[in-house]
Amino acid sequence: MGYVVLIPLLPAIAFAALAPLPRSVRNRALGVAVAAVATSLALSVAAFLAVTTEAGHGADVAYHASVVFAHAGSAELGFGLLVDPVSAVMLLVVTVVGLGVQVYSLGYMHRDERRGWYFAVLSLFTAAMLTLVLADNFLQLYLAWEIMGLCSYLLIGFWHEQEAPRRASIKAFLTTRVGDAGFAVGLLIMYATTGSFAYDTVLGGLAWAPGAATAVALLFLFGAMGKSAQFPLHVWLPDAMAGPTPASALIHAATMVAAGVYLVARALPIFEASGVALTVTLVVGSVTALLGGLLAAVQHDIKKVLAYSTISQLGYMFMALGVGGFAAGMFHLVTHAFFKSLLFLGAGVIIHAAHTQDMREMGGLARHLPVTTGTFTIGALALAGIAPLSGFFSKDEILTVLLHEHQYVAFGVAIAAAFVTALYVARLWFRVFTGPVQSEGLREGHAEMLAPMVVLAAITVALGFASPAFGEFVAHHGEWPAPLMALTSTGVAVGGLLLGWFIFGRRSRVLNTRVIKQRTGPLYDVLVQKYYLDLTYDYFIVQPYARLASGLWRFDAGVIDGVVNGAGALWRQVARLGALVDARAIDGVVNGVGTAVRSAGDRVRRIQVGRVQVYQGLMAGALLLLMTWVIVKGA
Amino acid sequence: MSESVNGVVFFMLAFATIGGALMMLATRNVVHAAYWLLETMLATAGLYLLLSAEFLALVQVLVYAGAVSVLVLFVIMLTLRRRSDAIRPFEPGLGGAIVAALFLGAVYLALTRFVAPAVEMPATAPGVVEFGQIMFTEWALPFEIASLVLLVALVAAVWWSREGEDR
Amino acid sequence: MTVGLPHFMALSAVLFSVGLYGVLTRKSTIMALMCLELMANAVNINLVAISRFVTPAEMTGQFFAVFSMVVSAAEIGLGLALVIAIYRRRKTVELGAMEELKG
Repeated sequence: MGYVVLIPLLPAIAFAALAPLPRSVRNRALGVAVAAVATSLALSVAAFLAVTTEAGHGADVAYHASVVFAHAGSAELGFGLLVDPVSAVMLLVVTVVGLGVQVYSLGYMHRDERRGWYFAVLSLFTAAMLTLVLADNFLQLYLAWEIMGLCSYLLIGFWHEQEAPRRASIKAFLTTRVGDAGFAVGLLIMYATTGSFAYDTVLGGLAWAPGAATAVALLFLFGAMGKSAQFPLHVWLPDAMAGPTPASALIHAATMVAAGVYLVARALPIFEASGVALTVTLVVGSVTALLGGLLAAVQHDIKKVLAYSTISQLGYMFMALGVGGFAAGMFHLVTHAFFKSLLFLGAGVIIHAAHTQDMREMGGLARHLPVTTGTFTIGALALAGIAPLSGFFSKDEILTVLLHEHQYVAFGVAIAAAFVTALYVARLWFRVFTGPVQSEGLREGHAEMLAPMVVLAAITVALGFASPAFGEFVAHHGEWPAPLMALTSTGVAVGGLLLGWFIFGRRSRVLNTRVIKQRTGPLYDVLVQKYYLDLTYDYFIVQPYARLASGLWRFDAGVIDGVVNGAGALWRQVARLGALVDARAIDGVVNGVGTAVRSAGDRVRRIQVGRVQVYQGLMAGALLLLMTWVIVKGA
Repeated sequence: MSESVNGVVFFMLAFATIGGALMMLATRNVVHAAYWLLETMLATAGLYLLLSAEFLALVQVLVYAGAVSVLVLFVIMLTLRRRSDAIRPFEPGLGGAIVAALFLGAVYLALTRFVAPAVEMPATAPGVVEFGQIMFTEWALPFEIASLVLLVALVAAVWWSREGEDR
Repeated sequence: MTVGLPHFMALSAVLFSVGLYGVLTRKSTIMALMCLELMANAVNINLVAISRFVTPAEMTGQFFAVFSMVVSAAEIGLGLALVIAIYRRRKTVELGAMEELKG
């Protein structure tokens, strides 16, 4: 199975080949990137099949190879490739979605003048994620993780001529970097306590001290929270929508955010050794799942709805992992990867067609974009958790595992989040696809754009039936959802959809009053009277809900976003207070100190004479001091 | 069993090396200084021969004596507007002299305190053939990197020194 | 009189100090670069000598010296190219004429 090394290598080569080319050549060489990912996909399928046959023989790891780069004490630092059921599945997810996004981008980006660079970065992104998935040690995982951070920065800020993408890319980079710092410290603590980064050593059979395990697991979780946009480090993800839509699909489904979940899933033995860390994971996941869902329901930007929905769904995965539900979390990651990338690709077509991202300016797209509508609907229903689409099965597994572990509060939160999910799915769907048409010249997307969506939709429909097989495959335990649970969750989802239809499905007609007025003339007033009910609903249900949700959103934007600003403002206040005291009482002293500092600075400044040789002399002098010290100490 | 370095030859070469270096600093003519640098480099090549590093001696002659000295001479020629510009005032530089002397003293102290592990020169020394074999097996990767470094330096040097627009 | 490793090291130290003195005092950029070469040379002598006396079979020091030569060759090439570039702009190669970094 030596070919496994080619899986991440090919996209990396595609990047290396495309990046140095001049722009005009690069823009015509997009096929290189697509071909590389396509080949990686073929090899991933081969690897997956190899693992399935191996798994039947009781061996979990089908392929493991590593190259040692350096020895640090007794530990070996190396680059490894590990193919086991989990990584095999992830390989498939990453390459399928990666290929879909690239093919789609051929259509979506075909007029952008920097599309060559875009494809190069997409390739590097895919290569980094594949390297991360195949890693056999946490250090390699961390390196790939950081490369992904860079790629997401490049992709989100792809249109860096504009203000919003530039800001968003910086925000994404910095926010995830906060998490990464935690991850890095966790790695160091892990190395200090165990002397190794390798999965074999760290995860298998090592007796973790609870304290060390808790520290490492919590720091890892912090890193994952940044990468997977968990509350309160989720703020970068909605802003990241400023990037090209297919890149959002990649970031939100197969690569960036999946990395955090994958990290927690991989490190789950450490979390279990800790116990506390599991609980924290569960709490973080629960809070994120509910808050993300509520926030999704008040956004008007179609991509932001999907972004908050991603946050919420990732919260689900963390909940599952927080009760040790390895298979459930991973399965939701897989199904979510497919249907969320499908939804983003669909949103891309919609935005192209409607020339806006604001759902209030959309409507009636169903008649004009039949393929998009069909596939998007499948994705939306999967997101809402309607049987028998894949999202239903994975969500059910999570609910089952929560109940099985007697986490009733979390179960309630999950049910509530499922309800909200169905609600905002209905809101999105009715706003966009039904009601009066508001845009001119609606056109369906290119064939290159629709083909990946159809494939992803097919996977979304079919994948759910693999649910028990998946559990069997990755965790030696799989079963169909229990009928009662299935009924409950479907009931909740349908209830949410119905309520959504009741509020938004009919309201959309009222909202577009201008158009209705034009068409119906005198009838309009009657319609208004007739829909007087809607105002009531609006007042009693929608408004309070909107107030709650927008309050939450304000909390989100104001408190969480503003932590840094707040700290700055606080400091400014402190400084202002200081200035007051300063002016009143100790002006002279402070001025004296200031003068002293300035004159000291003036004196120190003279070292910077700007002459090379003085610097050289200082260097030599410093060296001399060092040598003297060594000699004296050695004597 | 050990081999000894010919004391007479060593001291002659040492005299040539250090003397050349001192003359390079003592002379007031930059062109002469370049010639003294050349002399020092050649004497160093002799020291390498004494240490049975034949290949290095060859490289020393080729690179320093051949290439670097000629390059220095070229640049001196290019940056001199008048012949008399080559003559420079004597620059004793007391501060630099003190730093260098202190440095020498520190190294001397270090040398006297930390005794070298082997004073006797081992008898067998591998030749150029072995050198080449190890160079292209164990050190193949650094060697390639070194060639890349040189290439980059070459391109950069051309870029910087090229005529034309102001950068 | 037997000549051993300390003799070579002493020679190297003297050569290095002479180079250091030159680098610190000469006002011409070209002279400073030449003195820099002198220092590199001293280091190389040290490397080769230690290699000969301590690890004669592996010749590690000799390889180090080779790479050190590569680097100093690159350095002198780039340095002189810079001298030319500066000369073209300033019509001088005096180190004292460059003090834009004065704080």
